[in-house]
Amino acid sequence: MKSVFILQWQRFRRAPILVLSFLGMTILFVSVLAGFGGPNSQFTIYTYGDPSLEEEMKVKWLDRLNEAENLTFKWVEESEAHDAVSSRDAGLALKLMNDDYRILIAVQEPSSVSVENYVYQVFSEELRLQEVASQADGEEFRSELERVMNEPAIQIVTESLSGEESTFIYDDQLHVLFGMTLFFSIYTIMFSLMNVAEEKRVGTWDRLIVSPLYKWQIYTGHLLYSFLIGYFQILVAFLFFQFLFGFDLGERYGMLLLVIACYTFAIVSLGMLVMGLVKRSQQMQAVVPILATAMAMLGGAYWPIEIVTNEILLALSKGMPIYYGLDALKGAAIYNFGLPELVQPISIMLLFGVVCMGIGINLMERRA
Amino acid sequence: MLETEELKKVFKGKTAVNGVNLYMDKGESVGLLGPNGAGKSTTISMISSLIKPTSGDVKLKGQSVLKDPGIIRNVLGVVPQEIALYEELTAYENLKFFGRIYGLKGKELEAKIQEVLEIVGLKERQKEIVKTYSGGMQRRVNMAAAMLHEPELLIMDEPTVGIDPQSRTHILDTVRHLNQEKGLTVLYTSHYMEEVERLCDRVYIMDHGQIIASGTKDELKSILSGEETILIDLDRPYPDLVTDLQSHDGIRQTIETEKGLKLIVPKGSKLLGSIFQVAERHQAQILNVNVKVPTLEDVFLHLTGRKLRD
Ligand SMILES: Nc1ncnc2c1ncn2[C@@H]1O[C@H](COP(=O)(O)OP(=O)(O)OP(=O)(O)O)[C@@H](O)[C@H]1O
Ligand SMILES: [Mg+2]
Repeated sequence: MKSVFILQWQRFRRAPILVLSFLGMTILFVSVLAGFGGPNSQFTIYTYGDPSLEEEMKVKWLDRLNEAENLTFKWVEESEAHDAVSSRDAGLALKLMNDDYRILIAVQEPSSVSVENYVYQVFSEELRLQEVASQADGEEFRSELERVMNEPAIQIVTESLSGEESTFIYDDQLHVLFGMTLFFSIYTIMFSLMNVAEEKRVGTWDRLIVSPLYKWQIYTGHLLYSFLIGYFQILVAFLFFQFLFGFDLGERYGMLLLVIACYTFAIVSLGMLVMGLVKRSQQMQAVVPILATAMAMLGGAYWPIEIVTNEILLALSKGMPIYYGLDALKGAAIYNFGLPELVQPISIMLLFGVVCMGIGINLMERRA
Repeated sequence: MLETEELKKVFKGKTAVNGVNLYMDKGESVGLLGPNGAGKSTTISMISSLIKPTSGDVKLKGQSVLKDPGIIRNVLGVVPQEIALYEELTAYENLKFFGRIYGLKGKELEAKIQEVLEIVGLKERQKEIVKTYSGGMQRRVNMAAAMLHEPELLIMDEPTVGIDPQSRTHILDTVRHLNQEKGLTVLYTSHYMEEVERLCDRVYIMDHGQIIASGTKDELKSILSGEETILIDLDRPYPDLVTDLQSHDGIRQTIETEKGLKLIVPKGSKLLGSIFQVAERHQAQILNVNVKVPTLEDVFLHLTGRKLRD
């Protein structure tokens, strides 16, 4: 078993492109879909001034604008802002005047609307305050306002009890990370499993069979390899986004590792089932993308399953291991669930794995 | 050492092997001959416990291989007909892996790898990736992989196809040497009659899934002891001459060869004179005449009505 296992890594070392490209795709897709444009991400707006703009006003407006949590207003030269917008590096740029602004825009994007709204809000509020302040006694009014703002007469506190049926914390960033990572890992795992089909085609499988190795050792070597390579891919993607992009995966690391393991096992087993069903490795190459995409769509890897209302689709999603994988990962990362709360999705994934593995190996052996 | 009892294999209604009985004593070198599709590879697969026979059994030292395939797997080396290697790895890495699955390790493994690389003449190029080898070199690695663990029984299924004559001679000599000096038992399948003549003590001839003849080389040739082969070299083909000779009294078979004709005639028949006359009539120019004792190739032709290599 050990030699078969080590052999797969040797072969991986010689041809790592395929597997690494799936990891690359995961990182690319998560970066594009969640890294930028997500609710927690930073959006930089090139800001420049009208020649009439006074230095004092420039500082004041920039400070006010930069109070926004996820927007950064960056001071640049006018020419730089123009270049950035015309080359589409930036969706829009902001031109400040003493008590007004202009927005320079190339294409209308959803994100630019929210920026426009925000800038409008800041300016109109500030200008209104200035108006009122100019009528009353400036300094006093300001400090009074600040006091009232800090100690409002009525406080509204919104709280949701996580875990309750009706609540649904939708964390877009994590959803994209989990969905894409689990999705691309299907490719890696199944393509790695194809080594088995490949060995059967080339004839090295027969060599192994007539050797003193037991069949279970050969299978275990292959399965373990596919499992670990899938597991590492998911792990690397998670670590990458946690440390480089600051994604918040919560504190339940042990739980996350366990969920990944169960999910990976389920997919490895599903791969064995598929190999038992198809006749050639070329067929497998065609089936894997279809299967992965269909599972990801139905299982909620592309969009949150909570937005799906169709009964049939919902029922189908319950048959997908990726659904339970996502469910359990979100449970651990967002709702801080432990084993007792996640025992259901975990056991479903394990059961799914055992059943697929059993049928798959049986089918393969029957054909031989 | 090994014997098969009424081995039979049916693939989806098609009988590939139909009641094969063969035996091999320890230290024997046995040839298995037969045209394409005769069932040689299928027989070998059943002997090596790769596929299960539809009926019949294989016995190794009296024990059923069917009941316990484990008994043959430690003593057996199989060179498959197709090249079965990990082509993205080097020859050395391939051999290392195949050695390890037979439980070899460390210095012993290293020594065996170098030894078999020496036999197949690839010592210098062992660190190259198999995919980049020529077909013949891949075949040599394919053979080497089956010899690492010093099997007691070596089964080779057309192992030398595409290997150049020099390397082939060297490999065959090594196998012969292992067979004679170390008592290695060999089952050898080939389309090259001269290889079998060189390597094997005893021969089985197979056709349509059955053994149609068996015995030592001499025994088999004595099947044709009542016959002689006359080889006639001609300056060019003469189709009419062939037709005439075919219907000529006393000539059993007339076969066109590259250089001219091959006639099978009863031993001692004084036909040369009349053959010359017929040739004269067709104004055929005879370049050379040779009367030979039969070869295995002739035996094969006689038994199956087909040539070994089509
Ligand atoms: N897996 C299989 N399924 C169906 N038929 C098979 C299978 N393997 C072999 N056969 C058939 O069994 C017959 C014998 O095949 P086999 O490979 O044993 O011949 P062979 O003597 O080794 O021929 P060759 O000299 O071409 O290697 C052939 O007619 C072949 O088509
Ligand atoms: Mg064959």
